[in-house]
Amino acid sequence: MWRKEDGRPQNPNEISTGPVNSTTSPALGPANSKQLSSVPTSSNSVASLSPGIRIKGEITGSEDLFIDGNVEGKVTFHNAVLTVGPNASVKADINAREIVVRGRVEGRLDGTERVQIGSTAKVNGDIRSQRIAIEDGAEYRGKVEAGKAPSRPADNSPAKKFDNAKPMDADANLEKPAPGAAVAGAD
Amino acid sequence: MGFLNKLGIGIGAQTAREGARPLAGEQSVHKGNGSVVAVGTNRPPESQETTRGSNGLKEFLWNLDGLGRGTLLDLGPAWQTTLTFFIERGFRVTSDDILRDWSQFLAEEDAKAKAKENVTAEDYAERTPETRAKRFLEENLQYPAASFDALLLWDVIDYLEPSLAKLMIGQLTDLLRPGGVVFAMFHSKKPAGFQRYRVADTTTLQVLSAKTIFPAQKVYQNREIQDLFGRFRTMKSFVGRDQLRETLFIK
Repeated sequence: MWRKEDGRPQNPNEISTGPVNSTTSPALGPANSKQLSSVPTSSNSVASLSPGIRIKGEITGSEDLFIDGNVEGKVTFHNAVLTVGPNASVKADINAREIVVRGRVEGRLDGTERVQIGSTAKVNGDIRSQRIAIEDGAEYRGKVEAGKAPSRPADNSPAKKFDNAKPMDADANLEKPAPGAAVAGAD
Repeated sequence: MGFLNKLGIGIGAQTAREGARPLAGEQSVHKGNGSVVAVGTNRPPESQETTRGSNGLKEFLWNLDGLGRGTLLDLGPAWQTTLTFFIERGFRVTSDDILRDWSQFLAEEDAKAKAKENVTAEDYAERTPETRAKRFLEENLQYPAASFDALLLWDVIDYLEPSLAKLMIGQLTDLLRPGGVVFAMFHSKKPAGFQRYRVADTTTLQVLSAKTIFPAQKVYQNREIQDLFGRFRTMKSFVGRDQLRETLFIK
């Protein structure tokens, strides 16, 4: 059901960089091309930031990215899947088509299609997406906004159901169990 | 039902594992007996899970039936079951755990007060329940006016300071569209523990014992409830055997 990461932990690297574009470089600058030898290079593999890599700045791209290092700044992958690995620590607002979190994230998650919070995830920030899945064991703190944006006719409000509703003071049901209103509560 | 069972995962104040046990099927009452396992060092106490039939929820959903794509504000923790339930019915759901936010706000206020050495009269004025409630609402529940069709208030009001409850209901009223529906609960006596709620199916709520964030602040009488929700035109209550009043308000 969920995408498996092709990018596995690489040799520890530490770089400090400005904006990084994964379409042109899998998060490593020319000076670090030595380490690129261990980064998956096939068209089917996912670009990855290994544990030990530290990036401060903005990361943008249009291909999938697997982050298992430390990122601070902003991450934008509008048409791609962004995976935050179990070793990752991300302090950034993340914007992607699909976001999978298995590590630690502090920031807003904006997934246009889907956000998945894995069982090992620790998220502190608001989440917005059409679909949200939270696995057993995930730790989360923040607001959640899920579902498609409403697009209904203006007159289709719930008010139409209450045209015949009685004024509040005249409601005879107040504090009286309505017929069949007994609730099967806990004994 | 089976699908929801698989997604019976909760989040918010606790780890998601707290709500990970399967639902109780069609049984009216189910005592959860599985232990609660949490990630990290702050392991919450074991929670008990029960289900309760809910005529209030049934009525709430009936009122929203046919709405099409609506918007729902849930003032409890974000539970996977509740999210899935309403998203599948075309709603856009916003979960905002207001008690958690209030708890955090109070903790920050206390820390600020302790850090301040010379307390002035102005500082005291800033710490009255009313001014504190105003400050809290200036930072929270900031959504566009008339942006929600429905509101799940649960039993939040019982746990808030009365001054905050009054101001918050005023703000929530503004957030609802005309005809918007509120589903709230009121305890008839101060509850011993603290509970969270999530939707299991169209007539059933899951009730989860949770770590107490606040003790209940007040037991509201009917007249007080009517006064609080004075801008709503209809109110309908269902009283359960457990003395929990489920109440629907219609703007």
